[in-house]
Amino acid sequence: MSGYEALAKKLVQKAVKRGATQAEVFLQVGRQADVRVRDGEIEDLTQATSKGAGLRVFVRGRLGFAWTSDFDATTLDAFVDRAIALAQASAPNPLNGLPEKKDLGRFPDVGALYDPEVASLPPDWKIQASVEMEKIVRAYDTRIKTIDSVGAGENVHEVYLANSAGAHGAWQGTSVYLYASPVATDGEQLQTSSWYDAKRFFEDLETPEEVAKKAAQRAVRLLGAKKVKSQKVPVIFDPTMAAGFVASIAAAANGDAVYKKASFLASRLGQRIAPEWITIVDDGLKARGLGTSPFDGEGVPTRRTAIVEGGVLKHFLYDAFTARKAKTRSTGNASRGYRSLPGIGTNNLYLEPGTKRPEEIIREVPNGFYVTAMLGHGANTVTGEYSRGANGLWIENGQLTRPVQEVTVAGNLIDMLQQLDAVGSDLTFHGSTGAPTIRFKELTVSGE
Amino acid sequence: MARTQSKVVKAAPAQHRTLLPQGLVERLLSAAMERGADFAEVYVERNETTAVTLEEQQVKSAQAGLSQGVGVRVISGARVGYAYSDDLDDEALFRAARTAAFIAQGGGSERPFPVSRTPLPTFYRLEKHLADVAVADKRELVVRANKAAHAYDKRVKQVLATYADSTKRILIANTRGHLAEDTQDLCRLSTMVVAEGKGGERRTGFYGGGGRVPFTHFDTFTPEMVAREAARQALASMGAADAEAGQQTVVLAPGWSGILLHEAVGHGLEADFIRKGTSLFAGKLGQKVASELVTVIDDGTMANARGSLNVDDEGHPTQFKVLIERGVLKGYMSDSLNAQLMGTKSTGSGRRESFKHLPMPRMTNTYLAPGEDTPEDIVRGVDKGVYCANFGGGQVDITNGNFVFEVSEAYEIKKGRLGRPLKGVTLIGVGPEALKNVTRVGNDPMPDPGMGTCGKDGQSVPVGVGLPTVRIDNMTVGGTKVGGRR
Repeated sequence: MSGYEALAKKLVQKAVKRGATQAEVFLQVGRQADVRVRDGEIEDLTQATSKGAGLRVFVRGRLGFAWTSDFDATTLDAFVDRAIALAQASAPNPLNGLPEKKDLGRFPDVGALYDPEVASLPPDWKIQASVEMEKIVRAYDTRIKTIDSVGAGENVHEVYLANSAGAHGAWQGTSVYLYASPVATDGEQLQTSSWYDAKRFFEDLETPEEVAKKAAQRAVRLLGAKKVKSQKVPVIFDPTMAAGFVASIAAAANGDAVYKKASFLASRLGQRIAPEWITIVDDGLKARGLGTSPFDGEGVPTRRTAIVEGGVLKHFLYDAFTARKAKTRSTGNASRGYRSLPGIGTNNLYLEPGTKRPEEIIREVPNGFYVTAMLGHGANTVTGEYSRGANGLWIENGQLTRPVQEVTVAGNLIDMLQQLDAVGSDLTFHGSTGAPTIRFKELTVSGE
Repeated sequence: MARTQSKVVKAAPAQHRTLLPQGLVERLLSAAMERGADFAEVYVERNETTAVTLEEQQVKSAQAGLSQGVGVRVISGARVGYAYSDDLDDEALFRAARTAAFIAQGGGSERPFPVSRTPLPTFYRLEKHLADVAVADKRELVVRANKAAHAYDKRVKQVLATYADSTKRILIANTRGHLAEDTQDLCRLSTMVVAEGKGGERRTGFYGGGGRVPFTHFDTFTPEMVAREAARQALASMGAADAEAGQQTVVLAPGWSGILLHEAVGHGLEADFIRKGTSLFAGKLGQKVASELVTVIDDGTMANARGSLNVDDEGHPTQFKVLIERGVLKGYMSDSLNAQLMGTKSTGSGRRESFKHLPMPRMTNTYLAPGEDTPEDIVRGVDKGVYCANFGGGQVDITNGNFVFEVSEAYEIKKGRLGRPLKGVTLIGVGPEALKNVTRVGNDPMPDPGMGTCGKDGQSVPVGVGLPTVRIDNMTVGGTKVGGRR
């Protein structure tokens, strides 16, 4: 294919020649550009090219890893030797090694991930789109007095993988994005919010107008936000907040955490953990998905894995090492960049939508909290304890009324799953994670 | 993993080999100015990292990385052009310079921009760089930490120990004629412990530390100390009761609690947020923004501290800065661009994660100056409240001032005494309001073990934090138990 694929293979061969029992090279090349604007002018414009390679070697069961962004011939020589020398410092582990031959298999057809239009966008489009977003944001409401940032960008990336088990592959992708975070003030309070959209294909991207209006609306409606009294009420997460909740569940389905019993889901495989209309999927094959790729970080073909299906906990996510520990097979969830060893991650993660429109979900609540922003990491994968700072709008008699801030929403993830009592039809992807609006029957909101 | 070079040529300290020849740097500056910008800067970096990870009683991996590259920044009015490349050949370097120059629209002409070396202070010069320490010695630290954590208590079931270091060499040159070079070593040993108690209750503890210190630091800050503290934390919260939600008086333990100050106050005093008017501290210079017990300092000059720098990432010396003095806002932290746009001076606060990033105003080591009360008196004075012994992490919304902290180790305070452990405690508030509610500040030392990393706009930089024992009234505590009062 290209010189980089040949380089990856050459480094693998060299590592084997220098004493590696097994070797693998993960190489990335890319170029990216980003612009931010302010007052109708460029604030900063960044353009770059980057590349790097990570070499993973196993020397009689010992793991060594080195990475470099310097492809100079002498550096690459030393780099192979360094990876092998590093293996001497780690302990031999019979479970170490490349994925099993049977797991390496044929790569699926994932469709196009590369948009020639994104790759050939003129430098001006970013500036024009950003200037337009800023104009719309500022015109949306007189209370929007300044912006934190408004910008756009694109990148083109290539991935090459080769290993000593004979697997090799390459793919290239594009991504393009718009973002806006305006600041609104009523003289007393400052409130901000942001919106962004990122897609692989230019024609899938929201328009600058859509991004700007959503960002502006989300900031303005928080003006005048106050605490509420501590109480237990129905709580609704908008799709962006719901996506964060889904990500917390996926983190607990990480096969490594499960194996170490460091997950509250560890002992619940095959059990009903949520209502039967809850299905959470990691789909590495999703057409045009930002998290889609033909193979994972160690060359295993990607696939669709249902974590929760019909409310039942069905599958955990694995890479090769953890699968071997758990005596199961890799699910194609080894995630990495060239600077890191593979670890378990999601591809395109989402909660399947229901049939209710979000307005209906709100309308059914006599007194509750609609959450549009959260602070803090909050979810403890080990215990399932969940507590995050939350901002949003209070619901009275089925209507969004006054803005709320400086409260926390708390619960336990396992209870929260069972508390789910509505899922909206509005599945929205924010990057590679997506969710619709969701409602919990009752959570603790702490304020005054 | 000792570098072959350091074996052969013993007396060749890394900082004496220049990253790029001065003549080439000067020619790059000229190229960057060819469209007539106001300012250009070349930032070159070579960063060597090592990490050793132990889990499940075994050294799982040893790894090393090398990243190098150049970032060229060009400023024309308020417009910034930036280009970076991880190739350092002439073609890539000049392409980066010309790409960054694109931002300027004038004609300009090729003229020379000579630079001369700026002498730097030495807050952390190491005789032996961390990159030159044998990987076997680094491995030993995680092996010892693992052993000590398991020996601490039978309930310790899992230990994850990590040692990581970097030796980063940077060169910064700009069209104001400055050239600075620094070598910045940084290391951290950390241990995470999972303990299992009655009925399968699982609790975690985390502790670690290091700094811009020589490897011999771990002779006194031993892996055993790190491991035992992580194990102690995990066990301390066994059987903890649910925290009561609502407004309470809280007492923050000294040291790592400084993360609260960093998040809730520090970020709002960074000049980019001030200039854009997106911080709620904007326009409040000289005003009272906190209780008069509150004096906040950012100090980039502390010896061997994790957040210290001999020079910031724009080539300016770092400073000891008083941000808030007895409750009055005295100053902001600024990089050169924001300083220029605001008509002030850089405070040596321009930092960036790597050559792939634009510099922006950041904290270094940020702490609350000690007060007059003894920590015992502070706790004794609380009738009912929460003692926050350790924090997990936190986040702040600079604009509305909202902050949130996860308290990983907390105790009930009842009639002036520490009571049973609490779980699931989250503190939430608005920065300036919390500062006004500071009613006691301790006179105790505030040891910063050196484990803080701060993220802003996707860039991570090491920071130091500190706080003596502090009492804050009317803090919102998040929990799952709604109290009967109010």
